[in-house]
Formats: sequence, C-alpha cells, structure tokens
Amino acid sequence: MVHDLGGAPGGPVDKSQHEVEDWERLADAITIVLDIKGIKTTDEHRRAQESLPPEEYKRLSYYERWVAATETLLVEKGILTREEVDERSAEIEHRWGGA
Amino acid sequence: MSHPHEEVRHQSSPYATRIRAIEALLLEKGILTEAEVQDRISYMEARSPANGAKLAARAWVDPRFKERLLSDTKAAARELGIDASGPVEFVVLENTPKVHNLIVCTLCSCYPRAILGRPPDWYKSFDYRSRAVREPRVVMREFGFEPPEDVEVAVHDSTADLRYMVLPMQPSGTEHMSEEELADLVTRDALIGVNVPQTPTTRSG
Amino acid sequence: MTAFEPGDRVRVRPANKPGHVRTPGYLKGKTGWVESVLGEFRNPEDLAYGLSGVPERPLYKVAFRQADLWDGYEGPADDLLYADVYEQWLEQDQGGVA
Repeated sequence: MVHDLGGAPGGPVDKSQHEVEDWERLADAITIVLDIKGIKTTDEHRRAQESLPPEEYKRLSYYERWVAATETLLVEKGILTREEVDERSAEIEHRWGGA
Repeated sequence: MSHPHEEVRHQSSPYATRIRAIEALLLEKGILTEAEVQDRISYMEARSPANGAKLAARAWVDPRFKERLLSDTKAAARELGIDASGPVEFVVLENTPKVHNLIVCTLCSCYPRAILGRPPDWYKSFDYRSRAVREPRVVMREFGFEPPEDVEVAVHDSTADLRYMVLPMQPSGTEHMSEEELADLVTRDALIGVNVPQTPTTRSG
Repeated sequence: MTAFEPGDRVRVRPANKPGHVRTPGYLKGKTGWVESVLGEFRNPEDLAYGLSGVPERPLYKVAFRQADLWDGYEGPADDLLYADVYEQWLEQDQGGVA
C-alpha cells in the first residue's frame, strides 16, 4: 500500500520548511482533541489516511491528509455528514472568499 | 509579502476551508468547545526542540538524571517542567562512541510531539520515510554527517505507540560549558539523529 | 506471559493482511532477534476499526541486520534496524542463516 514507504525508491530529502498555517494548527488541534475525548483513536486516524485513494495520499500534504481523515471518521461515526461540511465550506468560501 | 493585486493564496488549500467548516459544525453541535481547541493549539505551540535540548544538556551534566531520562522519560521530563503526559510512551536512545541512532516512522511520521513539538517537513517527507531505513548513511550525509564505519548506525522505525528521541553524545571540548550553553548546541536534527551537535568551533560563523 | 524473550531469533510473518497493519512490508519474511519486550498493548489492527483491540498482546523491539533486510545495503555489516512488532506478527525462526 502506498503509505507503506519503508524501502521504496526516493530522492534527496528536501530540507525546506513551509511556515505552518493557521488552518494546519487548527487541523492538528481538532484531530487531537477528538482523540483525547475518545471520539476517535489514533489507529482510526491512521487507517483513514491509509484508505485514501493512492493518488490522493501522494498528492495531499500532511495536514490535508489529516483533514481528509478526520472528516472521513466524523462522517463514519455519524457526527457530521459530507453534505453539511460541503454546505458550510461553500458558505465560508462565499463569505470570506476562502478561509 | 503578497502583492495587493495577487490573488491571496496564502491559504491555498481547499482543506483550509474544510477544517474551518468542520470546526464550526463541531462547535455548534457541542462536540467540542473553543476553549478545548485553543488549549490544544497553545499546547503544541509551547512545545519545541528546546525541550529536547534541555533534557540532553541536563543528561550531559548529571549522570543520575541521564539514567532517569533513559529509564522513565516522561518522569524525567516532568522534573524539568516539560509535560509529556499522555497515552504514548517515550524512549530516549543514547548515542555512544559505538552506536549512532536515527529515528523514522515509515508508516506515518510519528514523532515525539509532546516533547519536541511538530516534526519538520523533511521528517514527514516520502523521501525520508522511504530512504532512512534503506540507506541511513546516505541520508545522514545529505545532512552533513558521516559516522565512521566502525560506529554502528541503528535505525528505529516507530511502528507502534512508542515515540523515540535521540540523546546525542556531548561534543568533546565542551566540558567547561554551562548547561544553558550546552543546550544551545543541541539541535532538533541531532535529536532525530540525522546529524550531531556541533562544538562552537566547528559551527560556521 | 510472552511467547518470546530477549535474544530469541524471530521471523516476521510474510502475511498479506488487508486493512490497517503496523508491520511494514519491508520486514515481512525477515529474520531478526528480540531486543526487548516492550509491554502489552491493544491490537491496532482492531482499534483502527473501532473494535476494542483486546486482549492486549505483547509488543517486542526486534532487531534486524540491515544487510539481511536490503540487497546491496550501503553500510557496514553491523548496522542494525529496530522496529516495534506485535507478537501476532512474529514466529520462531526455525534456524537457518546466522
């Protein structure tokens, strides 16, 4: 599976560092708070990332994967629906021209 | 800095909006509170490689502390005011003249976040995850470090719920330095194991 | 009660289990030795699907010679790799290459 990377071919390690964005801090915090509150586990979070279509797993950044996984789990557990998230996202986009 | 006419793409990911939508919904549904989210953000902001540097410097000057650091990392961290409590266990791996340790998580980039904060982007990269286990010496060379052939390189893949951190060796010629000065020598990269602390004379000006 | 003790030679099961596993592919079918017993933990393969993960099973720190893991490993024969492997993924090594 695509996440099982040990020993896969790779190139020189890119040492550049992007500035952490606020939404990434938020993604981090929400994921972990849900974990602390027992709403989801680290294991589920890993599994949800691993279940992303391989091309998506490769294309998304680290925190993009976290957001995708967190959303998947919240929907799976019946806490949110994709439609709710779609609607609210569209609202935010409309109101603020992107968060 | 962005031009006034440039489309403001500093939050270029559609996932930025997505997580804000999720946050809003979770707050409305009472699943979590703003305070909980803010506390967690503050928690992560308060953690950095400086914590690891403090632990290493104290271990260098105090052999008994070093033993405690190696045998019960969370408790030792607490002694220095570093709160690493939580469900994961921490293990500190001591570098010696015979063994140099390198840490990776090939499956997902696990990292001792409760002590060191967020991992660097390179640690999470596919290239590091794939090559650190396969050719650690080549990877370390990319970070400017080449252990001698008679030093064993030990790579640790964090495959379960233990999180690892390296205790680098104290650079020679630093015996006279204060604990604070020693902590300044310990970089995040040395705590991961891709290189080692430099002595002030070898650090470039 | 652990199946293995420090020093025991063990082989990682070459199983292809679908779903979430924490045993990397590069270790499957490889032989190493138990460095230490890390304690007992719930099964992440079950926890990943909301199951209880019990009974807890032993987790081992297993050492491997890099030369045994990779063809043409670029480094001395003494270089090692350690991974934390759950008991259900290990079997006794039936002898063979030292």
